Amino acid sequence: MRSLYHSSRKQEKLTESITMSSEPKDSTKTPAEQSAAAVIENKRSPADFLKAVLGRPVNVRLNTGTDYRGVLACLDGYMNIAMEQTEEYVDGQLKSKYGDCFIRGNNVLYISSPTR
Amino acid sequence: MSNRILPLELIDKAIGSPIWILMRGQTEITGILRGFDDYVNLVLDDAVEFSPDPRDKSVILKKELKAEILLNGNHVAVLVPGSKGPDDSLASKA
Repeated sequence: MRSLYHSSRKQEKLTESITMSSEPKDSTKTPAEQSAAAVIENKRSPADFLKAVLGRPVNVRLNTGTDYRGVLACLDGYMNIAMEQTEEYVDGQLKSKYGDCFIRGNNVLYISSPTR
Repeated sequence: MSNRILPLELIDKAIGSPIWILMRGQTEITGILRGFDDYVNLVLDDAVEFSPDPRDKSVILKKELKAEILLNGNHVAVLVPGSKGPDDSLASKA
């Protein structure tokens, strides 16, 4: 357990940056106002993206090339992901289905969400 | 005042324009850069992925994702601002 903790120390920093958002600090604005300002500027930081995709259908590509498609239930700054109604695609072929699944963040290459 | 430009400033200037990303391994991705953070996690619009066919690694497949993506910064090797990818580069002319 201890070694697992240490191997994820680098990821820990990632969480900080995502949760704190990369927008300039402005103590007069709430985080919501800051992210609204970011949208107006047409900038979308990774933190904004993570907030926007919660509860939406997504496609998650792993380093191995495997795709997982489903409804994103929950995620964090490590890119750890919990999904529902998940379909697993290996080499583009549907291999299996899971009601719920958890993906450890270090395996994630990208998360894509269809543009509205 | 110095004229030095920091690496992340260069990426910041590329926001809103096309960018070409070479990943560790063989994958390459292009898209419109929307944002990034200190770890160079990237948000891209209209992303296109170029990756080797799993059945024949010598063939590169082009896949239009038609989606906004969050790309994990862990696997990013090189960023080329202003380029629309392999088809559009000096590399393809060489």
